[in-house]
Amino acid sequence: MAMIERTEWYDLLRATNWTPKYVTEDELFPEEMSGHRGIPIEDWETYDEPYKVTYPEYVEIQREKDAGAYSVKAALARDKFLERADPGWISILQAHYGALALAEYGAIVGEARMARFSKAPGNRNMATFGMMDETRHAQLQLFFPHANCKLDRKWDWAHKALHTNEWAALAGRHFFEDIIHSRDAISMGIMLTFAFETGFTNMQFLGLAADAAEAGDHTFSSLISSIQTDESRHAQQGGPMVKLLVEKGMKADAQRLIDIAFWRSWKLFSVLTGPMMDYYTPMEHRSQSFKEFMQEWIVGQFERSILDMGLDKPWYWDQFLRDLDETHHGMHLGVWYWRPTVWWNPRAGVNPDEREWLEEKYPGWNDTFGKCWDVIIDNLVNDRVEQTLPETLPLVCNMSNIPIVGTPADGWNVKDYPLKYKDRLYHFGSEPDRWCFEQEPERYADHLSFVDRFLAGMMEPMDLSGALKYMSLAPGEIGEDAYGLAWADIYKEMAHKKAG
Amino acid sequence: MAAFPIISNFQYDFVLQLVPVDTENTMDEVAAAAAHHSIGRRVVAQPDKILRVRRYGAEEFLPRDMKVADSGIEPTETIDIIFADE
Repeated sequence: MAMIERTEWYDLLRATNWTPKYVTEDELFPEEMSGHRGIPIEDWETYDEPYKVTYPEYVEIQREKDAGAYSVKAALARDKFLERADPGWISILQAHYGALALAEYGAIVGEARMARFSKAPGNRNMATFGMMDETRHAQLQLFFPHANCKLDRKWDWAHKALHTNEWAALAGRHFFEDIIHSRDAISMGIMLTFAFETGFTNMQFLGLAADAAEAGDHTFSSLISSIQTDESRHAQQGGPMVKLLVEKGMKADAQRLIDIAFWRSWKLFSVLTGPMMDYYTPMEHRSQSFKEFMQEWIVGQFERSILDMGLDKPWYWDQFLRDLDETHHGMHLGVWYWRPTVWWNPRAGVNPDEREWLEEKYPGWNDTFGKCWDVIIDNLVNDRVEQTLPETLPLVCNMSNIPIVGTPADGWNVKDYPLKYKDRLYHFGSEPDRWCFEQEPERYADHLSFVDRFLAGMMEPMDLSGALKYMSLAPGEIGEDAYGLAWADIYKEMAHKKAG
Repeated sequence: MAAFPIISNFQYDFVLQLVPVDTENTMDEVAAAAAHHSIGRRVVAQPDKILRVRRYGAEEFLPRDMKVADSGIEPTETIDIIFADE
């Protein structure tokens, strides 16, 4: 049978809306789910997604991608890479899978909302592919780590993490529920695909794919690259939404959504990706520092894309650029110090040569974060391990739900950004975090942070053991130092030589 | 007497921490409770200095013998713990 050329039917297909007969248009596309903002459906039909694909093309491409990722995994299974990999690299994988695998399932819901409720037929078409993308990502990132469960229970956290009340999982859920699960299709499309995926997914996936290849983990590298190529397609759905809102005089609305989602994304990446790139990845395998990567892939590209859309840089842009030098160092120090509270084994990453690298990439590191590590190292050298473990909780931000940190020692600038709302005292880690809350206080006001839950008596007993139980962290899953503290031996030798 | 949670912003440390104190504790006792979670863990001790407490953002220290109950500090309020000469 002769096939009609794609060019002859594609535009008609992707721009077709139907005329409802049994319900009204408003019933078919209720504003609270659709988010059409009163823009007529004819205008939504002008929505023009940059990347176009047909279903047969999609299936063919995805089949090849899946075949590639699964065959690399199968081919390298006997290589037993994980049994010789640096423990820091394994921690990266375990942290990554736990934080993201089930979040991909969450993203399916977001894509489904656009596929059902967007008034733009082109958006509905692309979101249908997006749903299938996210399904593939969730399945891949559950299947790959599952094969390793026999090695270590921490691999099981790919499936488990987001079902628990572990603090990082709480932070992830709070973020994804804000930008995906509780927004209309258009707000969600802008926040998830434009701000989070365009802005940050590149970071996690391109950066990690490069580091994975360097580290010799070709299975993970091919998996991540396979996912990234889907992301780069479906992340383009938000752009035309922003364009239409700007054309219709709703720039402030689009700007606010992006400003919230970008800041919230940044905070999550500062605790997850920053430590991975600058501390967990063995130094010889680092392609760029976290800051360099952010500057190249986020700052440059995202800045261009928002200005191209007729938007402005977020109001906190200067602070964001300054924070690239600081925030993730504090997050790393916190995660390492409170290591029993995470499902992976944090790698300290502060050997003398690593400190030299940190000082080169972040001038002043030794006089600030380095001074906290000096105290920790002194404790390890003198066998005071108990002093390197927590006896209380760090305060977590009521927006990002991650610890409130700053620069210590000579650059001491730790700040709280409190807010009293309806007689409750909230704490925020930055002015933009507090600003996010103030945009819509009732959206966030009832949420209890990890510390709020502790104080409300939700953890019994009220100590670390009760907190670990609340987080579902069982023996074998509780985080420890990635090297069992053996990295401090070099400092013991140095102290021994110095003593003479 | 009642348990009273405060948030410690300890000078030279990198993180805010939850510290349980008591309404009957003096500011010196509050400072010592906060120091337990910072000094010798990530902050170097300064034996020639004393630790003073001030409400977050304030310039004046609270009197060393003032009790929490009399200080006006609210539960979970952030306080600064600062190395001082006197």
